[in-house]
Amino acid sequence: MSGYRIDGLGRVDRSRRVNFTFDGQAYAGFAGDSLASALLAHGVTLFGRSFKYHRPRGLLGAGAEEPNALVTVERGGGVFTPNLRATAVEIHEGLVARSQNRWPSLKTDFGSINDRLGRFFPAGFYNKTFMWPRSFWEKLYEPAIRRMAGLGDAPTVADPDHYAATYAHCELLIIGAGPAGIDAALEAAGTKQRVILIDENAEMGGGALADPALAAWLERSLKALAEAPNVTLLKRTTAFGYYHDNFIGAVERLTDHLANPGPQSLRAPREQLWRIRAGEVVLATGAIERPLVFAGNDVPGVMLASAARTFLFRDGVAVGRNVAVMAAHDSGWKDACAMARAGMGVAAIIDCRSEVDPALVQEAESLGIDCLIHWSVVGVNGRHGVKSVQVLHHDDFLDRRLPCDALLMAGGWTPSVHLWSHSLGSLAWSDDWGAYLPDKPNEKVRCVGACAGKWSFGSGMNVGHLETNRNPAAIKAFVDFQNDVTAKDISLAVREGMKSVEHIKRYTTNGMATDQGKTSNLNALQLASAAMGKPVPEIGLTTFRPPYTPQTFGALAGHAQGPLFQPTRKSPIDSWAEAQGAVYEPVAQWRRARYFPKPGEDMHKAVARECLAVRERVGIFDASTLGKIEVIGPDAAEFLNRMYTNPWKALEPGRCRYGLLLGEDGFIRDDGVSARMAPDRFHLTTTTGGAARVLNMMEDYLQTEWPDLDVWLTSTTEQWAVIALQGPKAREVIAPLVQGIDLSPEAFPHMAVREGTICGVPTRLFRVSFTGELGFEINVPAGFGRHVWEQVFAAGQAHGITPYGTETMHVLRAEKGFIIVGQDTDGTVTPHDAGLDWAVGKKKPDFVGKRSLARPDIVADGRKQLVGLLTDNPAEVLEEGAQIVADPNQPVPMKMIGHVTSSYASATLGRSIAMALVADGRARVGQKLHIPMPGRVITATVTDTLFYDREGSRLDG
Amino acid sequence: MADTPVRSMPVPAEPAVFSGVTIALAAPCARWSLRARDAALLEKVTGLKLPRKIGEVVGETVCLGPDEWLTRAPAGATLPDGAGEKVAVVDIAERALTLTLSGPAAARVIAAGCPRDVERLPFPYASRTVFEGVEVLLQRDAEDAFTIEVWRSFAPWLWTALTQAAADMEHLPA
Repeated sequence: MSGYRIDGLGRVDRSRRVNFTFDGQAYAGFAGDSLASALLAHGVTLFGRSFKYHRPRGLLGAGAEEPNALVTVERGGGVFTPNLRATAVEIHEGLVARSQNRWPSLKTDFGSINDRLGRFFPAGFYNKTFMWPRSFWEKLYEPAIRRMAGLGDAPTVADPDHYAATYAHCELLIIGAGPAGIDAALEAAGTKQRVILIDENAEMGGGALADPALAAWLERSLKALAEAPNVTLLKRTTAFGYYHDNFIGAVERLTDHLANPGPQSLRAPREQLWRIRAGEVVLATGAIERPLVFAGNDVPGVMLASAARTFLFRDGVAVGRNVAVMAAHDSGWKDACAMARAGMGVAAIIDCRSEVDPALVQEAESLGIDCLIHWSVVGVNGRHGVKSVQVLHHDDFLDRRLPCDALLMAGGWTPSVHLWSHSLGSLAWSDDWGAYLPDKPNEKVRCVGACAGKWSFGSGMNVGHLETNRNPAAIKAFVDFQNDVTAKDISLAVREGMKSVEHIKRYTTNGMATDQGKTSNLNALQLASAAMGKPVPEIGLTTFRPPYTPQTFGALAGHAQGPLFQPTRKSPIDSWAEAQGAVYEPVAQWRRARYFPKPGEDMHKAVARECLAVRERVGIFDASTLGKIEVIGPDAAEFLNRMYTNPWKALEPGRCRYGLLLGEDGFIRDDGVSARMAPDRFHLTTTTGGAARVLNMMEDYLQTEWPDLDVWLTSTTEQWAVIALQGPKAREVIAPLVQGIDLSPEAFPHMAVREGTICGVPTRLFRVSFTGELGFEINVPAGFGRHVWEQVFAAGQAHGITPYGTETMHVLRAEKGFIIVGQDTDGTVTPHDAGLDWAVGKKKPDFVGKRSLARPDIVADGRKQLVGLLTDNPAEVLEEGAQIVADPNQPVPMKMIGHVTSSYASATLGRSIAMALVADGRARVGQKLHIPMPGRVITATVTDTLFYDREGSRLDG
Repeated sequence: MADTPVRSMPVPAEPAVFSGVTIALAAPCARWSLRARDAALLEKVTGLKLPRKIGEVVGETVCLGPDEWLTRAPAGATLPDGAGEKVAVVDIAERALTLTLSGPAAARVIAAGCPRDVERLPFPYASRTVFEGVEVLLQRDAEDAFTIEVWRSFAPWLWTALTQAAADMEHLPA
């Protein structure tokens, strides 16, 4: 084929030359050209290598349907975008594009050996052949197949661009700015409706761009729409998915078409994600022409007739000087005549039908076009371009050579019902169209124009495979060009017993490529229908799923990248910890200071120092992230009594209580210390990760089970900054800072709460301890958290105050055997399992989970119970999660009786300690158990979980 | 301790100024969550006039739900806590902070991450909604004036998201 620029046609701007390269070679095109049209104008025919057989491929289409011409476009600095359709890449000055899936070059590709060997790997070949040995798949088969079969490379450099996202609302959303879409927009222009018209191309107009007769109308219409204040025009925007309640996802491409998008830091977002909620949707998505199925239909230079017409009238590029048309549809005749009238050489129209509208024949003949009616193409000569075609007369079954330099296929039209189908609108088969048309809507949506089947392309014949005089088993007649599926693959699938189109699709991979079968699905259906001897509607249609065309991950992520990926919640004191060089760990959405290393310290050393400081002097800890709920109302105590396992009604104002929360299943869900501030007001605390969950659970019970209770719940997690001060010197540190509270042990005992001020800030001061030491938790309004922290820290200097993090907090609580919900429990642990019977009110008539605690499985022997473990070697720290066995000499697989839940080196005790869930654990106290590890077995003795200060003497300092 | 307590805020004190919108941290204020089955009782306890329709704003008080209101007052103000009554009054002054967005592009900046039809919101009006995944209280005070109340620990994320959206907007035609 020898494409060339033809004078006087097309919308490209011939005054603006644009230089670009393809596979290293320099080319020039014009502003407005796509990469496809610019290369075509230079006589380029070869655009890519096919997926499986590495066959040389050229352009099939001129738009979104293009399956062959996939290219990679450089974005500078090692960044590139693979798998772009050359028909959808706008050229700009300096554009660097390259072909894919070939080595060493597009013209000489070693992988094309696959084409010669093709008959050895039909559909299903990989699945059948590379099954055994199983272990070879991951290491050998898959990597080798991936290297050979493929698309472009995946980029390895982080994407430097950023992406915008927005929501939009409109009364009318029109998708597709061809004549039908523009008409729909014009109708609504000037009304009070907000109208959005979107189109995937750089220029609006759709089919009108390739019809010079409509040029004046198009210009007038677009001007009117641009001036209408109620109409928003979004070009370069692809509606990729249609979701519930008229919610449409679309991506607008903002910078890829620019020669100089500016320095990265000042650059516009590369793409914008539009999330549109529309009152009504109008789909004006048009139709896509179908190829015909015959041997050689994938030779570069064989393309859709509509594509050739588009290249000619939109871009001013003739695809050949002497083209032939293979038609099964009137539209091929119309296109051929239009192109011939415009000055392109059309040698012949071959039509497989026995009769064609005489008016069309007459017109073609008057233009000097040879009309071969009741003929088919049975072969194409040429490898990287068309040299001639073999044509067969259906009567004599003899074929002869017809010279031409391109072959245009006109197989009929398939309405683009992708978005209609996403919206779950139903489809009905139309024999006239040889395709499915929109039937009943499922949303407030209507189709207009070709997408609705309301566009006159003329009539045609539905054919699966063109007549041929060759052995069907020996020819490659392509159905799905991108996935290299041939007609014989479809018949093989049917022969092997695939009866559903969904199975045929998966067996052959037809329609599963990045083009989602835009040009292949209907031909595959026709072929399957013929092979099974069933009408098409009985075979069904595969499901359309978003996206309509491939979209970037960047656009779908929108704002959610880098610092905006997800909120990192920080406490009011976080900035102080950061300045102190704290090492953080994530806890739910929060980041929390894990430990505060001094120079030269690792975590182990820092934690040992922090632990000893708390035990010997005083430590300061940021507990602000704990969940807090204010529970208020005359029935507040009754409500908590029903929610928690222990009794709450008798708790006096000013006192605190440990609360244990179960699910209906009787398993531990959360815990925390809560205070009664007043007869009808409680200050609850929850775990950091459980805050939202607990509030939701409590609201759920309140609203659905006990709507009669006068109680209201308010999250106060973020109202309060919480400073935990723990250690024998804690009282001395805060004594000079606190006003209005008697801190003496008699007036302010353990598990009490008082209100007053600290450092001039109002406080709810709790006397509680999660360490076993004398402790206070200072609640102050969040804005003053850092201020009070700094004052307390300054006042503590004289007492050797030491900041500590979550790791030290974990060690200190483990020394006292306090559980952490979610670490020592896993959603299958009851209070009895955890040794928390004391926290279950035996006399209470009911509480959430009570009934489940009497279930046979819950009261049976053999449940895993929380115990302590002391390793024989005190320096050995068990791994959390390690499995425990009773007899290490059993054959593998051994009977595992439990696992380690918490394990630390305790500086206070000078040895390691661990907690574990072990079957019948409490009955095993004193026994030796074994923890098998790679290459060795660790032995430990079962104990209870209280490792330090058994008398509780340290609580008073 | 004679020192005046120092307040720390998690977002910059300086407004972020863009061509169509200015995003700024509002001065601290008092806030209370108010709950009751009987709005009249709550009015009696607090002395406030309560709007009855969800989304309605009367003075500094917003109706957020059938039994839920938010009221605001200058920092340091007080409100009776309704002890013993069938009402709940909770001090949530420090739980959230308020960002103001003003200017002709304010609605578009908010629409970048808020699924509500921001452009067509009436004013005054306030409603709980989300900006991407973060819960916010969105209030419209005038055609070009919005406030967004957000929980303190989510505020830095929201500040970054809003200023990024505003910066993007300068590249994107209206």
